Amino acid sequence: MANLNIKSKQENTYGAIVIGSGMSGGFAAKELCDKGVKTLVLERGRSVIHNKDYPTTNMMPWEFEHRGQMPEDIQRENPVVSRCYAFREDAAHFFVKDQEHPYIQEKPFDWIRGYQTGGKSLLWARQVQRWSDHDFEGPARDGFAVDWPIRYKDLAPWYSYVEKFVGVAGFHDGIPHLPDGEFLPGIELTAAEEYFKSVVEQKYPGRNVISGRCAHITGNAAYYAKQGRGICQHRTICQRGCPFGGYFSSNSASLPWAQRTGNLTLKNNAVVHSIIYDDAQQKATGVRVIDANTKEVTEYFAPIIFVNASALNTNLILLNSTSKRFPNGLGNDNGLMGKYVAFHNYRGGVSGEYDGLKAFTTEGKRPTSGYMPRFRNVDKQETNFLRGYAAGIHGSRSKDVNYSGTGADLVKNMMNPSYGPWRIGSHMMGETIPKESNYVALDTDKKDDWGMPQLKVNVDYDQNDLDMIQDYRDQLAEMFDEAGFKNIRTWDDERRPGLDIHEMGGVRMGHDPKTSLLNKHHQLHACPNVYVTDGACMTSTSTQNPSLTYMVFAARAVDHAMKNQG
Amino acid sequence: MNRRLALKQLAMAAGGLALIPSCDFSEENILAAYDELQITESQQQLLQKLVDTIIPKTDLKGAVELGVHDFVLVMANDCMSDGEQKQFLTGLKGFDDYTKKSSGTRFTKMDNVEAEKTVNAILEGKPTSDDEMATHYFLQTTKKYTIQGYMNSEYVMTELMPFQLVPGPEFNGKKEIVPGEKVNING
Repeated sequence: MANLNIKSKQENTYGAIVIGSGMSGGFAAKELCDKGVKTLVLERGRSVIHNKDYPTTNMMPWEFEHRGQMPEDIQRENPVVSRCYAFREDAAHFFVKDQEHPYIQEKPFDWIRGYQTGGKSLLWARQVQRWSDHDFEGPARDGFAVDWPIRYKDLAPWYSYVEKFVGVAGFHDGIPHLPDGEFLPGIELTAAEEYFKSVVEQKYPGRNVISGRCAHITGNAAYYAKQGRGICQHRTICQRGCPFGGYFSSNSASLPWAQRTGNLTLKNNAVVHSIIYDDAQQKATGVRVIDANTKEVTEYFAPIIFVNASALNTNLILLNSTSKRFPNGLGNDNGLMGKYVAFHNYRGGVSGEYDGLKAFTTEGKRPTSGYMPRFRNVDKQETNFLRGYAAGIHGSRSKDVNYSGTGADLVKNMMNPSYGPWRIGSHMMGETIPKESNYVALDTDKKDDWGMPQLKVNVDYDQNDLDMIQDYRDQLAEMFDEAGFKNIRTWDDERRPGLDIHEMGGVRMGHDPKTSLLNKHHQLHACPNVYVTDGACMTSTSTQNPSLTYMVFAARAVDHAMKNQG
Repeated sequence: MNRRLALKQLAMAAGGLALIPSCDFSEENILAAYDELQITESQQQLLQKLVDTIIPKTDLKGAVELGVHDFVLVMANDCMSDGEQKQFLTGLKGFDDYTKKSSGTRFTKMDNVEAEKTVNAILEGKPTSDDEMATHYFLQTTKKYTIQGYMNSEYVMTELMPFQLVPGPEFNGKKEIVPGEKVNING
């Protein structure tokens, strides 16, 4: 395939290769570089440098030609990405357009992607709740998937380590199944949320409403100044890239940090074709890369390879890494690679209004909202469905503007708004059960522009998910009603899987090489110098947003790699 | 960027045309800036009068002074589906005839008071025929975009309802309302 010579092999050899520069790849790179390892990070998308390549970050609302709305022709050409809430005029340039990287939806699946330095870490919603043993012990307790080979105690110190670097605003809430972490000052709830919290915590023992823990710097400014980051200014336009580095992204934090060690080489436009396995040495020796622009093939070599290409692309690369030893994909002896894909269920929503607290409103903006940790089936099975859901809770004072009429009356009306009732809303974040029938696979015929097989996606909801949506609607409506909220409405928006942007699995962890792909250190059982620490490694999904846990996995796995192979 | 250039050229052309005392408009130019809409200068002028009727100059600046009529056309051109665009254009193109039929005077010939009365009557009416539906839709969407363009203009957002791009780290979830204090919808 490639015209290699000895010289290029020497030039292209590193201490470690990290595939992907997003949330988990960026953190793996930072850890490797910190430990003195010459690290090559391969990013398939274009370069986006913190504060140089955020073209919209300082634009005023009136400077957007369509005030944020995406033009009709772009929506028509991009039905998948257009369904994403953040695909708007201010951040559209950070999303992959549908036609650019086609995939095959054997079942409807909205695959939301960000191909650039930092990946989707520029676009995430920045919620960083820890997992607990209620999550890691779920599969073993409830009899689905396989047992996680790790427990909370394995991760707790790494959660602390990552949280300190990232910067997490939060309160110490003392909830056993949502462990507290290393928190900067929390961001307070609104009056309506505080009120709802008091009702819930009084009438529903074991249920809590807290301020969502979020990756925003709210204190310890001197420490974060060393990263070149400043206090969050509550602009709440994070998806444009933050000039202050107020929220955590690979671009603002981990990659510049890695760069400063002098050990980082970041290659953009580097589409990874496959991982090279050497039959004689019985290990992976490098990575085959296609230049996104010239399509030239280059091979890079390293004794340690981290695959952090984002969950489904990690599956794609590993499945495409075939050799005599691994004809079905690297490390895929049991044929389970690509299977047991799961995601989060965000279909349900509830809204209402509250007539009380009329003397209060909110002032300023906040980058988080209220959060209700999972309360169903926590200590014991109590419903007809497995697992549970967390809920976002947001209450804000509405402003009434009278837009009736025309002319001078209309102007007068618009310029004299008044306060309406508090509006309360919630969205669900449900755990889905990984199943063998939810899988991704390579299409044998269709290739993309770089000669990579297209990914076929077969992922769907099941009855457990539908029962959970109903329970969420019933439970939240009941609690809203108990709190005296009016005009309560609940819905199921029937969104397609994928739009939660939390796809996980396919290269799951486990104790047994017969039933899992990765061991407790994130090494492929059958090829231990390859580590997977992004969403692909997830054995089950829990209800918490996953990014924090991916970074924790990356930090912990680098530590292991250094101790055992360094 | 193409549109900005086209708008600029249009402005220059309009300035040029003003020097010519009489012009034959029987074959009007299609405005290149709004390629999907395929509208003429006189249709654009009608829309401008409508936007001026919806938000006229008072002791505050009016919508036309802020260029909101351009915004309405940009949104109609770029952000409407084919079906919506068809309704909008039918309404726009038939508007003068419609008002002539319903009130005896063409909208473009009405004074401000009559124009406002006519627009309000249509907006408050319940459309029955296809013609009425299209007219109603055209007026409603024009009003919607006029309000959006006006309220999100630099003038309103900086001078009347101050907006802060960098609000700063203070967030108060339970601020006591001071009676009589102006409510800022961007606050």
